[in-house]
Amino acid sequence: MRTRSWSSKPNGWDALVVLAVIALALGSALAVWGGGGESGEALTAVVIIDGKEADRFSPADLLEGPRTYSNGSYTLEAAYGLRGAESAPLDHEPPSGEAGVRVAWADCPTQDCVRTGLITRSGQSIVCLPGRIIIRLEGGAPDGGIVDAVVG
Amino acid sequence: MRRFISITLALNLLLSLTACFGPPVDPDTVQESIQVIAMDTAMLISTYGKRSTAAAYASEDLIRDLEAQLSRTEEDSEVSRLNAADGRPTEVGPDLAALLTAAEEYRADTGGAFDITVAPVVSAWGFTEDSFRVPAQAELETLLEKVDGSAVRVERTAGGCTAALAPGQSADLGGIAKGYAADKLADLFREYEIPRAIATLGGNVLAWGDRPDGTAWRVGVQDPARPDEQNGFVGILNLKNSFAVTSGGYQRYFEEDGRTYHHIIDPATGYPADSDLTSVTVVAEVLPPDAEQLYGPGTMCDALSTALFVMGREQALNFWTSRKNAFDLVLVTKDGEIYVTGGIAEDFVFDEESGYAYPVLVK
Repeated sequence: MRTRSWSSKPNGWDALVVLAVIALALGSALAVWGGGGESGEALTAVVIIDGKEADRFSPADLLEGPRTYSNGSYTLEAAYGLRGAESAPLDHEPPSGEAGVRVAWADCPTQDCVRTGLITRSGQSIVCLPGRIIIRLEGGAPDGGIVDAVVG
Repeated sequence: MRRFISITLALNLLLSLTACFGPPVDPDTVQESIQVIAMDTAMLISTYGKRSTAAAYASEDLIRDLEAQLSRTEEDSEVSRLNAADGRPTEVGPDLAALLTAAEEYRADTGGAFDITVAPVVSAWGFTEDSFRVPAQAELETLLEKVDGSAVRVERTAGGCTAALAPGQSADLGGIAKGYAADKLADLFREYEIPRAIATLGGNVLAWGDRPDGTAWRVGVQDPARPDEQNGFVGILNLKNSFAVTSGGYQRYFEEDGRTYHHIIDPATGYPADSDLTSVTVVAEVLPPDAEQLYGPGTMCDALSTALFVMGREQALNFWTSRKNAFDLVLVTKDGEIYVTGGIAEDFVFDEESGYAYPVLVK
């Protein structure tokens, strides 16, 4: 039997295998790091109309202009908002705060969506019952609310 | 052989690396959330566990299916056909048959404070279509002649069930259907072996199992004086395997000539209930499955929260005293008092900054 090919000296194949495995390991590690739940993803607003996803955008996209959504005979306008910017000093600094979405106006009789105000955290939502429109935030920091549900 | 060893070692390295970076995921903490607009309210259902996604989608199907049967506005629904039949029997499915049976039980039990046949009166006030008005007394008296839930008949036939109202009557199951949906969700979670879930169906909450950290679900009881305020609670209920439902006049109302008219109509007077309460929260535990039971504690909580609001503080507490073990209450009064009944005394955490007097414990 020839034993020469099993020499103890590492050859090019060994190096290739080691490199490939390290690359795989690093890749897997990065995938686990990157996919470590919603907190790693950017805050995204998802608009659901009649149970179907109608739009998906970053709150910052609303800086280019508000977006309107209609269903049935109802229309609402989603606009950009900053939590904490209300009390910003009157200087030339751009206002800073937690970015989010609010409904600026709606033509429904209930106005619940407008009254909900600004939402800025993952899991929060604005609901328009008459128009069956939901604006829900996903990704980003989770809602730090003190309860899991509300009765009332 | 050496190459084999090097590959094995490298694979070990790979596995150990991924094991280090990816902490073992407890399948019971995998979560799925769905949001549904149905039954005139917004619903949010979060399920946990290996089958959380399948259970969440099945929950949505269950709710859409119930809505299709029970809607008063969809012409083709079972309830619409029952209302349009003018006293003749119509075929109804097992859900509507169960709901009509439950509605009659709680109507009789509460001396008529809960009655699904008050629907035409509620519509006269504009609460069905959001076109509010104050009806004339004569109009209310005419409508009240038809309000009598005891006239509703449900019969089993060879092919299923039929139901009939009295001629001229119509029924609205809005005060009980969400609770029934919560009961059905509990059955669904059990079937899908869901370890924990939290479902909010309008003012109805089902707290299934416990939180992922092993503590009880925290359910805020909205302060009736601050209905639009996030985190504006009279207190927080710590609940496991329980239903909780709140009824209050603050939830829907309109103002005319300086007076406020809310949506909980007293079937005896045809007017918004002149209650000394601002909200009633009814809590009951999830029961083990029982094939004989057509409906469960969720349905009961929904019906009783409305009825006890109509009754007012004294009658509501007497009602609880006579049926202590079935459910518990958090009552908020117009005078700024809170009453909490014995079974949940330790589960209710009062918000001392709410401005209310310290809760009165009722034993």
